[in-house]
Amino acid sequence: MSLPKVSEFVRPTDLAAALHELESVNARIVAGGIDVVLFPGDTTKLVDISGIPLSGINSDAEGIVIGATTTMTALIESPLIADYLGGVVTTMLHHLASPLQRNLATIGGTLISAHPWSDVIPLFLVLGARVSYYDGTEHTVPIAQFYAESMFRQRIILTAVRLPAFPPGTAAAFIKFSRTAFDIAVLNCAALVQITAGRCTAARIAVGGAPQRGYLLPHAGEVLTKSGALTAEIIASAARTARDEADISDDMRASAAYRRNLVEVGVQRALGQIKDKLEAGV
Amino acid sequence: MNIELTVNGVRREFTIAPGETLLELLRRTGYKGVKKGCEAGDCGACAVLLDGRAVNSCLVLAAKVDGHTVITVEGLADDGTLAPLQEAFLDTGAVQCGYCTPGMLIAATDLLNRNPRPSEEEIKEGLSGNLCRCTGYVKQVEAVKLALTRMNGGNDA
Ligand SMILES: Cc1cc2nc3c(=O)[nH]c(=O)nc-3n(C[C@H](O)[C@H](O)[C@H](O)COP(=O)(O)OP(=O)(O)OC[C@H]3O[C@@H](n4cnc5c(N)ncnc54)[C@H](O)[C@@H]3O)c2cc1C
Ligand code: FES
Ligand code: FES
Repeated sequence: MSLPKVSEFVRPTDLAAALHELESVNARIVAGGIDVVLFPGDTTKLVDISGIPLSGINSDAEGIVIGATTTMTALIESPLIADYLGGVVTTMLHHLASPLQRNLATIGGTLISAHPWSDVIPLFLVLGARVSYYDGTEHTVPIAQFYAESMFRQRIILTAVRLPAFPPGTAAAFIKFSRTAFDIAVLNCAALVQITAGRCTAARIAVGGAPQRGYLLPHAGEVLTKSGALTAEIIASAARTARDEADISDDMRASAAYRRNLVEVGVQRALGQIKDKLEAGV
Repeated sequence: MNIELTVNGVRREFTIAPGETLLELLRRTGYKGVKKGCEAGDCGACAVLLDGRAVNSCLVLAAKVDGHTVITVEGLADDGTLAPLQEAFLDTGAVQCGYCTPGMLIAATDLLNRNPRPSEEEIKEGLSGNLCRCTGYVKQVEAVKLALTRMNGGNDA
């Protein structure tokens, strides 16, 4: 459906000009534009940011920097992303919608729309991604803090997301449960484990689509860091803790009881994959 | 507002409303091969190639693609000669009512353009955003394989 309330479409070419355009009442950024078209609300003015040079995937000493208007397809086809942590981001993206949407959807639009079903958010939470945004000056904050504090402020432009580099001995995994290959998640889950000298020195576990937006499960992560080694028993114990810790509810796709089972199974599988990857040395 | 688009190789100027979708624009200007299904990104019937990549035209704002290149199903044949994918869809019986066919062809074209030797899994992923109410999906996968065989010079026994 076209958007009858929209009366203005502007294409600023730098961040300051874009921020200025966003001062109008009911002005909204368009990146891929999927959510803007599907959920237009009272939007009357569209601010297209594709003319601002915000797209691209680069690496530096600290990790990978992904520009806000980079599409999911550009990420899936990027060798840098394929080489990052055993290709876990690429794996996740193959589960995200279909190529038709991935050719449009941008990483910035995805992080700002922050849908409950987002496959990106749980994974980026366990990776400890950092989000850069502009509100007149540039800021870079951890993604968890971004969702807790910055995201709901008016007039910010997300400019980039940064994925940190990890030392050897780190692995991550992403699992998605959905009714069909193309449907959004009934539940998704991500985990990251870092092993130093045989001991688990960092662990993060997150679930999403539960059915609210993805979030970390700190107690489940602590089971791993407190116990030291990544054995089958400890994995099972972390998965049970995740099951109890997760904040779960019903919706049209699944009951809370079924979802709670999925949390345990998903965390167990994700950690199992991580154990295999670490033992194989990838 | 006015925009310029290259549609099926022809550069054209269009007068559009600022909130108009590419789907609405293409259909009202004669490209009826672009089908209107769900208008929510779910069915893929409205797929077109935008700068060579398959997208749901119902999710694209026309104003956003000013200056870009669009190919609709009408642009796949070369001067009346069907593309190998189109021939293969006919020969395998991948077309029943035909409503999903333009979108399927566009999605398959994008897939083969960037991956000339896809596996069966990759073909299924390539078509995963296109719903078909008639065929059961097996025939479309077979059609893509047949087109591949022919394009790679093999016979189609
Ligand atoms: C049928 C379908 C299935 C899908 N399935 C999945 C799935 O399984 N998993 C999944 O994770 N996703 C899925 N998605 C994608 C997801 O729901 C979003 O639609 C998509 O990621 C939005 O990206 P966009 O670039 O088009 O956003 P846009 O519509 O351009 O923007 C989204 C919002 O963010 C704002 N915005 C955009 N960029 C910026 C920026 N740089 N700074 C500040 N604000 C900004 C916009 O104003 C808007 O409010 C699916 C989408 C569809 C249509
Ligand atoms: S009409 Fe566009 S995806 Fe269904
Ligand atoms: S042939 Fe009828 S919808 Fe596919």
